[in-house]
Amino acid sequence: MSSEIEVRKTHSPAELLASETAAERGARFAADAMQYTSQLYSAALRYTKNSHDAQDLVQDTYAKAFTSFHQFEPGTNLKAWLYRILTTTFINTYRKDQRRPQISDGELEDWQIFEASSHTSDQGKSAEDEVLENMPEGDIKKALGEIPEEFRLAVFYADVEGYSYKEIAEILGIPSGTVMSRLHRGRKLLRELLMDYAKDRGYGKDLKEVTSSKKGGEK
Amino acid sequence: MSNNHSNQTQCNEVLTALILFIDNEISDAAQARSLEVHFQECQPCCQEMEHERQVLATMRTLLNNECREEAPQELNERIAAQTALLAAQMGSGGQFVTEYRHTQTTTVYNDGVSEVRIEETHIEIETNNENGPQFPFF
Repeated sequence: MSSEIEVRKTHSPAELLASETAAERGARFAADAMQYTSQLYSAALRYTKNSHDAQDLVQDTYAKAFTSFHQFEPGTNLKAWLYRILTTTFINTYRKDQRRPQISDGELEDWQIFEASSHTSDQGKSAEDEVLENMPEGDIKKALGEIPEEFRLAVFYADVEGYSYKEIAEILGIPSGTVMSRLHRGRKLLRELLMDYAKDRGYGKDLKEVTSSKKGGEK
Repeated sequence: MSNNHSNQTQCNEVLTALILFIDNEISDAAQARSLEVHFQECQPCCQEMEHERQVLATMRTLLNNECREEAPQELNERIAAQTALLAAQMGSGGQFVTEYRHTQTTTVYNDGVSEVRIEETHIEIETNNENGPQFPFF
């Protein structure tokens, strides 16, 4: 089995981008980045929780992105790059004003994450399925807004945007292991809240078992 | 009894890795395979995995239906105007790209049976104005 390796290098003409004027960059930015405003706005709503601040955050993000656009490497993931800027902009400008305490920082130990790892009963499973299938509109959005920010963002990037742990780690500037623990906790909290809403409506009598075993994880 | 105990231990390990399995985040092929074998042999774990997978799929559908808001038209207009303004400031500041390096590397692995091509692009850009325009927003 002989293997053959061939390496070829090509250098494109420097004129290509070297002649890019501010107006041309503006046009390139509009063509490439403007298509993501709705996705950025959806993410921004998860950070700020109100439309007014979310719009300001997205606008600031685009200002920063445009002036740093020469640092963006064409061919790589532009949307993820914009999300990264969104995150840093939020941390630097919005959170600074609020001085809000971090609810949880750093990684959770494995035993903390998985303390409730055990087989759940069939009864609990089917009750949960039933609740999820009959979930009224607005419940999941409300629940997502109620869980702590760190968990909310992990869930948003994984389950709405479909990013991998590694991609989320880059966007949020945290280790992959932290992404996993936040995602795990976030989904769990979300499920507990959805079950609580259903119970408050008097829906599903078998739900006690599903939620009670999962309570008390928050420290 | 001891057999039952070791099964229990294995189930705990499997359930611990469940989130990684469902998220397709297990990069170690041997670990992924051993989990699949366990799911074939252990009905409670298999049901647990399928339930978790089903719940996640449902939650993802619900989240996607409700948490993909459209950007208000006003916001799009504000950003377009802002981009034009920043481009104008940048233009008047005389900022142009002065250096542009683009390197594309294609590596071909050929063992006579199949061929694998790996393409890498590397781009470096420099401008003549390090300060850039003043942000009206920060």
